[in-house]
Amino acid sequence: MAESPRSGPWSRPLLRQIRRGLFASPLDTVITVVLAVLCGGGLWSFLHWVFLQADWAVVVENIRLYIHGRFPVEQVWRSWSWLGLLGVLCLATLMPARMLPRPVLRLLPLLWILILPIGLLLLAGGLGFEPVKSRFWGGLQLSLLLTLGTVLMALPLGILLALARRSSLPLLRWLTTGYIELTRGMPLIAVLFFGQLMIPLFLPEGWTFNRVLRAVLSLGFFVGAYMAEDVRGGLQSIPKTQLEAARSLGLSPLLTVALVELPQALRTALPSLANQCVASLQSTSLLAYLGLIELLGISRSILGNPSFLGRHLEVYIWLALLYWAVCILMTSLARRLERTLKVSDHH
Amino acid sequence: MIGLALSSTLFMLAKSLKPLAVVPLLLGLASCATAPTEKVSLLEQVKSRGELKCGISGGLPGFSSLNPEGAYTGLDVDICRAVAAAALGDADSVAYTPLTAAQRFTALSSGEIDLLSRNTTQTLSRDSGGGNGLTFAPVVFYDGQGVLVRQDSGATTLEDLANQTFCAKAGTTTERNLNDVMQARGIPFELLNFNEDQDRNQAYLDERCAAMTADRSSLNSARSGFEAPDEHVILDEVLSKEPLAPATVDGDAQWGDAVRWVVYGLMAAEEWGITQDNIDAQVASATSGADQENAALRRFLGIEGDLGSKLGLPNDFVVQAVGAVGNYGEIYDRHLGPDTPTFIPRGLNASYTEGGLHYAPPFN
Repeated sequence: MAESPRSGPWSRPLLRQIRRGLFASPLDTVITVVLAVLCGGGLWSFLHWVFLQADWAVVVENIRLYIHGRFPVEQVWRSWSWLGLLGVLCLATLMPARMLPRPVLRLLPLLWILILPIGLLLLAGGLGFEPVKSRFWGGLQLSLLLTLGTVLMALPLGILLALARRSSLPLLRWLTTGYIELTRGMPLIAVLFFGQLMIPLFLPEGWTFNRVLRAVLSLGFFVGAYMAEDVRGGLQSIPKTQLEAARSLGLSPLLTVALVELPQALRTALPSLANQCVASLQSTSLLAYLGLIELLGISRSILGNPSFLGRHLEVYIWLALLYWAVCILMTSLARRLERTLKVSDHH
Repeated sequence: MIGLALSSTLFMLAKSLKPLAVVPLLLGLASCATAPTEKVSLLEQVKSRGELKCGISGGLPGFSSLNPEGAYTGLDVDICRAVAAAALGDADSVAYTPLTAAQRFTALSSGEIDLLSRNTTQTLSRDSGGGNGLTFAPVVFYDGQGVLVRQDSGATTLEDLANQTFCAKAGTTTERNLNDVMQARGIPFELLNFNEDQDRNQAYLDERCAAMTADRSSLNSARSGFEAPDEHVILDEVLSKEPLAPATVDGDAQWGDAVRWVVYGLMAAEEWGITQDNIDAQVASATSGADQENAALRRFLGIEGDLGSKLGLPNDFVVQAVGAVGNYGEIYDRHLGPDTPTFIPRGLNASYTEGGLHYAPPFN
């Protein structure tokens, strides 16, 4: 096999490249060897710990809690179906466009918006489903719900704020600028504290206000301000001549925004918007410090179980893996979207 | 710490702004509004709701944590369950809200929870109207700062640890308490501070210090995480007072009394020797058996008199509570007893008959 016509010419340049890149001079060789030993040693002791010393029972036995939180066991299929739907939707979006029938392709954006109400219906119940209180939501399911809710609220809010900030009406412009600058000047944890601690105190006695909704609203208002700036960046990248062209074609201001400005602005802003989405997922973990049992919060409660005392390392490595997987999924969705939009650009 | 400071500032701010209840109108987002025109006791609200809203820590070994089935367990949790059993006849009718230390008082004053059962140290400023404005139920766990040493060191008192190094957590009252006690007794010592629990534990295990100091309950859970927990002992000496008690909101005497006497009921049941297992037999015996002349027991079990209804509870509220979770000693043993990984000797938490501090006033 080594004599195959492919392997000969393929392996030799590779070897040469390795030599040139890593062992070009004695100093390079020393650096390479030292780094290899350090990395190798670190990796070896990590793997040794992972496979021989770590006790993964804390993950295996509580897997249902990490995924669904305290969702009632007999209703857990509803949580599974929502997560499954979300997975199928991700897969469909990631698949090459030509492999999907046209109508499905057209419906995808709508489905991405509908997945939140579907999730709420499945998780909260109603319409024939037995109601489940939001305090039973938790784990990955709640983290994803919070992220999705935040993004679906922040994106339209961000677009509106960005447009309002460029509006010719002074009052509107000042108000939105004030809002955006104020929000951007506050740490997220302060906004979340406000949402979780202050709002209940302001409400008249006897009024309550769902904790999850409070969290989504605080996160949404916060992320919205950042998204507004991303969209504004996109809007600013559009040459003035295009607006003049649109006006000379007789497009109304509303149509100019909808057909000329926004499609281009959003395409430009897409990488930073995707960034905000990933950041929102990670921000949801702050809610663990406000008593929500999302992924990080439920881990706190699991670590409190006397049978799993001192198993912090296992739990946090498992969490890192979960968060990483979801973030990778989100960034590949964003890359996919970028590619699709670029393709349609070249028509 | 930052969170705590931030939240207390927000809390004070919100308190001063409360008259300006225009914000909800502006927000217009509130749901399920049943604004009571007249102040109805939380006890009545709990009964008509059919559910007790209980605030817990949610992540404290032995006090409240999640088991793999998704249920909360622990000493704090069982207090919630006992109150629910007494008021509603069903220990499972509890809605648990996990709370951080920063949130707990707001949650209580805003009505998000009815009962705070979250290892809260009873202090003057938390009790008083000028402070957090809480009403404390009887102490359910006497914690205090303790000292952990290696068994082979042979140390049994602080004096044995003269000129030794102590590991502690930086910036806590732990450090000050240790200083106070050691200075008062004239014992010289060295102190090694750490920012994280984990680092402090590791330093102690690496024998960088002869002793480690923290609250006894947390020393205990740290020790249970060690590879050989048996090789370490917690000294009998206690350096500070940390009486942990459930709390209700100020100004609702009926609710506060009900919670207080349910907790006393659990302790009195232990004094009487009434357990979860023998409670039916005890009731039978007091109703028509050997104990039917025992008026005090009959009153306690609600067979005679109307002690419960004076509180707004069923007359057999103690029977309900003990039937659901057992007496105080049983609750303690279940979560902190010798058979658990979080074993803490009863010490101050024993009944007064055993030399502890738990003492229920008469049920008359």
